[in-house]
Amino acid sequence: MIRLLAVIERDLKKFRRNPVVIAMSVVMPIVYLIILGNSFQGKLRSLPVALVNHDTGPYARQVVDNLHAIEAGPATFTLLSLRDHQDAIAGIRKGVYKAAVIIPPDFSRKVVMKSGPEIGLFLDNTDSISSENIRNLVIAATGSMRTEYIAIREKYADAQVREIDLYAKVDYYQSLVPGVVIMAIFLGTLTSGAFNLVMDRFLGIDESYLLTPLSKSHIVGGLVISGLSITTVIAALIFTVSMLITGIPLSRGIGQCFAIFAIIVLTTLCLLSLMFVILGRVYHPRIVGILSGFLNVILFFPSGAVYPIASFPGWLRTFALVNPEAYAVDALKAVLFKNAGLSAISGDLFFLAVFTAVTMSVAIVSFRRTI
Amino acid sequence: MDSMKDTKAITVSGITKKYGATTAVDTVSFSVDEGEFFGFLGPNGAGKTTLIRMLTTLLKPTSGTAVVACCDVKKDPAAVRREIGVVPQAMTSDLDLTGYENMDIYGRFYGLGARERKERIAYLLEMVGLTSRAHDLVAAYSGGMRRRLEIARVLVHRPRILFLDEPTIGLDPQSRHVVWNFLDKLTEGDSMTVFLTTHYMEEAEVLCSRVAIIDNGKIIALGSPSELKAGIPGNDIISLTLGNISEQIMTKIQGLPFVHQVKTEDTSVRVYVDSGATNLPALLDEVKMSGGTVLSATIHEQSLEDVFIHYTGKSIREEEARKVSFFVGAGIPQKWGR
Repeated sequence: MIRLLAVIERDLKKFRRNPVVIAMSVVMPIVYLIILGNSFQGKLRSLPVALVNHDTGPYARQVVDNLHAIEAGPATFTLLSLRDHQDAIAGIRKGVYKAAVIIPPDFSRKVVMKSGPEIGLFLDNTDSISSENIRNLVIAATGSMRTEYIAIREKYADAQVREIDLYAKVDYYQSLVPGVVIMAIFLGTLTSGAFNLVMDRFLGIDESYLLTPLSKSHIVGGLVISGLSITTVIAALIFTVSMLITGIPLSRGIGQCFAIFAIIVLTTLCLLSLMFVILGRVYHPRIVGILSGFLNVILFFPSGAVYPIASFPGWLRTFALVNPEAYAVDALKAVLFKNAGLSAISGDLFFLAVFTAVTMSVAIVSFRRTI
Repeated sequence: MDSMKDTKAITVSGITKKYGATTAVDTVSFSVDEGEFFGFLGPNGAGKTTLIRMLTTLLKPTSGTAVVACCDVKKDPAAVRREIGVVPQAMTSDLDLTGYENMDIYGRFYGLGARERKERIAYLLEMVGLTSRAHDLVAAYSGGMRRRLEIARVLVHRPRILFLDEPTIGLDPQSRHVVWNFLDKLTEGDSMTVFLTTHYMEEAEVLCSRVAIIDNGKIIALGSPSELKAGIPGNDIISLTLGNISEQIMTKIQGLPFVHQVKTEDTSVRVYVDSGATNLPALLDEVKMSGGTVLSATIHEQSLEDVFIHYTGKSIREEEARKVSFFVGAGIPQKWGR
């Protein structure tokens, strides 16, 4: 016991003496929330679209008016009127416009004669999200023109959709909080625990304790416990700050706080032991640097923190089944937004516990006591 | 035989370590008595660090056995680790901790109680002259201070055998002498066995009661410094640089009654003689009479350096220059290559 405590204290003391590292581990995930929240907010705005109208007829004017209505309303795009459709197409190629809407001179006439009126829509399809949105809006703009002509009774046929929210309204920023907490845990577990082993190895300091009677479990266990205490504190701090920023109410008090704490602790243990398996024999910090970006992508994005798991393709859904971060996100969302108690998330917690037990055993067995 | 066995601190037989086609340590056998100050002398890359790592359980031998303190290093490495203290070649103290904390945490790794640690650390810090800097971060220590701290640190648990791998490498001559004095003092009243590797001749000569000379992974000579020196002819060496060299000059020198042996390399001549100071004038006269010119002449008492040259036919410096390109200091290549 005295040996295990010594390993823990050594690690914690070294961490405490690097205030820059402490500050960065707290600030970075919060900045992440702000950047991700603003760059990825689900709605597109102000996409530049060129408009070339060669038709002076009434139906063309109708289409243009509808497009202007979208510009003024949801403001998904900004229209720029051009005379020459060649300029518009060249503009797309140069990246000036995301799309060009071209109304040919015979458009109105063809509408009247019912001989297949056409509107040209040129899209910068390298940006699939923007082009998909613009296509739908342009179809809507031409579509609504046609309904005006068709009898009013179609309006009676329109089904009214009324939204009924099952849970209290969750805004976009709030929905990111579980992801940010998981991100904080990921960063904490990446830069404590096994990483300190890699650094000691890199600096040649590991020799000093490999020469002592410390056992494998002392070394791995001690680093996991110190990493756990560091990461838990950071994650709890970040959780509190994100709650204050986004204003999620903790309506169920102590029980809810306890459930959140349990999720944080278990997720941290899970990722710490996973890092020990992955970094157990790494001897250069640069390898950790390369791995960190990769691990973050494969653990975080398929976790359901930003995009729902149900919309993933099958193979990625299968991966999410073994991704500990997916279970952590699921549990946090349940507790934060659905007022779930411990029993509702016991499945998630069970998975995290089993995952920890397995990876930790592998970590201790695969750890090498020789140089 | 049994009573003999009890007095041995280290018994090594046929120990070998291979890295692919390279044999770093080649069937080495020797034993070290309890309380002895034993040195391994050889150039960088000779296999010293590999050997010390096998004896201290950090590397598994390819073949052969080593019994250290009580147990076989292969069968019971944990028991061996409890009995030994090791100062590796690289500096291994934690820069982010103070000198005192480094020692205290080490003491706890060995399971020592609080009071025992406190007393022992105070004593050892005093002994290495670091009491006043005990609560400074090691990052602020000089190389010499850090080395002294690391030696003191591995003594916290009173090891039966102390291993030192190149303890003064990278230190300036003054710090080196401080470490030597301290190591000398350390073993004075104590029954501790010390095993040291070095590529400094002077270090082995000043500190060790017995020295093994190692080159290319093999022991090429073993004995006390005086025994090893007695193994080479004469008691002094006169080194001459000649303007020209000829068969005739060499025969004449060889014929002098006080000359034991002559070795030449280009225009440098090493003459192994008795009473060098008295016989130098006669030697110079002989060279002149046989038509040679002497550009320089130095005379020195035989040292382990000469022993090394005598047994290997090359000086330790040349040997290092040859090896440095692919071994670059013991310990590093294995680490990066694994």
